[in-house]
Amino acid sequence: MSYIVVDHLCKEYRIAQTEKGFSGAIKSLFHRKYTVKKAVNNISFVIEKGESVGYIGPNGAGKSTTIKMLSGILIPSSGTITVGGIIPYNERKENAKHIGVVFGQRSQLYWDLPLSDTLDLYKYLYPIPYTSFKKNCDFYIELFGLNEFMHQPVRQLSLGQKMKANIAIALLHEPDILYLDEPTIGLDLTSKKIVRDSLKTINKLKQTTIILTTHDMDDIEAVCDRLILIDQGEKLFDGSLREFRTKYDDGLIFKLEFEKGAAPIWQNDCAFEIIDQNDHQWIIGVPPTHSSKEAMIELINRFDPINLYVSEKSIEEIVRKIYSSVHLEDT
Amino acid sequence: MKKYLIIIQKSLKSESAYHSAAITGMTSSLLTYLIQIFLWHALLGAGTQNHTNFSEMLIYVLVNTVMIELTKGNVANMIEASMIDGSISVELLRPISYKLFTLANLFGKNVYNAVIRALPIITISFFLIQFNSLPDLTHLALFIMSASLGIMLMFEITYFVGLFAFWIQRCWFLSWYLSGFLIFFGGTKIPIWFYPKSLAQLSYLLPFRYITFEPINFFLCKTTVEDAFWPLFIAIFWLALLCIFDRFVWRFALKKLCINGG
Repeated sequence: MSYIVVDHLCKEYRIAQTEKGFSGAIKSLFHRKYTVKKAVNNISFVIEKGESVGYIGPNGAGKSTTIKMLSGILIPSSGTITVGGIIPYNERKENAKHIGVVFGQRSQLYWDLPLSDTLDLYKYLYPIPYTSFKKNCDFYIELFGLNEFMHQPVRQLSLGQKMKANIAIALLHEPDILYLDEPTIGLDLTSKKIVRDSLKTINKLKQTTIILTTHDMDDIEAVCDRLILIDQGEKLFDGSLREFRTKYDDGLIFKLEFEKGAAPIWQNDCAFEIIDQNDHQWIIGVPPTHSSKEAMIELINRFDPINLYVSEKSIEEIVRKIYSSVHLEDT
Repeated sequence: MKKYLIIIQKSLKSESAYHSAAITGMTSSLLTYLIQIFLWHALLGAGTQNHTNFSEMLIYVLVNTVMIELTKGNVANMIEASMIDGSISVELLRPISYKLFTLANLFGKNVYNAVIRALPIITISFFLIQFNSLPDLTHLALFIMSASLGIMLMFEITYFVGLFAFWIQRCWFLSWYLSGFLIFFGGTKIPIWFYPKSLAQLSYLLPFRYITFEPINFFLCKTTVEDAFWPLFIAIFWLALLCIFDRFVWRFALKKLCINGG
């Protein structure tokens, strides 16, 4: 049996409707109408131990709700979840011993105390034997460079420092699974890289299963081997990054460079799509019907650039296109 | 159990981070205490009223102040705030009881505040209280038992009422009513000795008098050792009853839980 089994999972919320204006507010005091929003709608997937899975979708897609149900905080409206043989929302405390959770927008640290106090608290909360605690502390202090701010009150730490500390805290008790909900939100490039590299290391070294939700596709490319894409509570894709590219990729990206201010005029009869342009640079999308050689020859003959670069479309570009096509279908 | 002691310790340490809050807290408790003792001095003078003299009233105000500080807490507002900003999700992720975590957190803060705020008033009381108002060892032991039950009972009530925040979300009025009931039926401002008979009888039907009033009765030797059973037993009864109720309510509360904001 797989380690995490999610079967026809649904979560509905009742949302109170308030009518416009003062009279609407008074009316709703006596008679309130509700609408039902399906935050998660019939989602099923299985995840094996040691996998690193990116769980992505636009805002309001139901990612965080799924993570909260997986971690046992929220109870599903219907469907089932088992994590390592445990039903998380029925055995919240038992489940909590086997998981680590990091919410990018919430901190688990004592705001007014130094990080060392929160570390100390977690030693007793789980509880972690002294030798493992010492070993893990040393490992994460080294990995995230926590020593430089270990004794400063948390309220005086930067966002990046707090995030590194939160990830370390979530991993201290050697959980089997690490859920991360937008762990790189608001971080600078260096901090993002440290977080991504560390997650990859932890996944490979400790075989910790990682489930990561994010809007930054570079996180997914750096950390995850598999991708689950959801939108409006429903699953759109579940497979490896390679399969994702094969299924949704619609060609290559060409970057053409010209002398400053001397970019030629774009010709609309060209078979390619111009994605972005300025006075010395064009970004062009080439559909898979054309080989890169054909496209290169045509672009050089027509526009005579100084330099020409070819790259695969980034996951971000592909995802953006999927989101916009899904929302176009809706409208 | 050790984990909850650590939570109490961390919460106490966290509370001590702001010195100016401690100083203002100390000043305000001192002023409140002075107002109350001047008031009782004006009312009682050197005489007695309902078998109560000024020195006993000083003890009454002192014990009440310390116990109210120790049990102060607004679980409803804490739940409300953590539901609004979504931080309840972090609190529920820990492999510990939410109830004991919340109460341990609260108690840590309260111990610090009780020490800070009680110190000046204990110092003043030392010069004003007559030593013959203090209890013998048996009554002191009964007081400690009764006060411990009172503290647990107050936390239990605060938590039980606080759980309703899961349903109503905006719940400032819950703690307002609760503190009103405590003052009125628990006799925390005016002792129940001075209440009209019907109101005093009514207070027996509710748990509030067992929080500070009955412990003070032990401290002042107003409850005899022979009569000690019932106040202690009823406090335990209320504790057990509320424990059963809050387990029941918690189960439904989790189903109602809606975590805002991502």
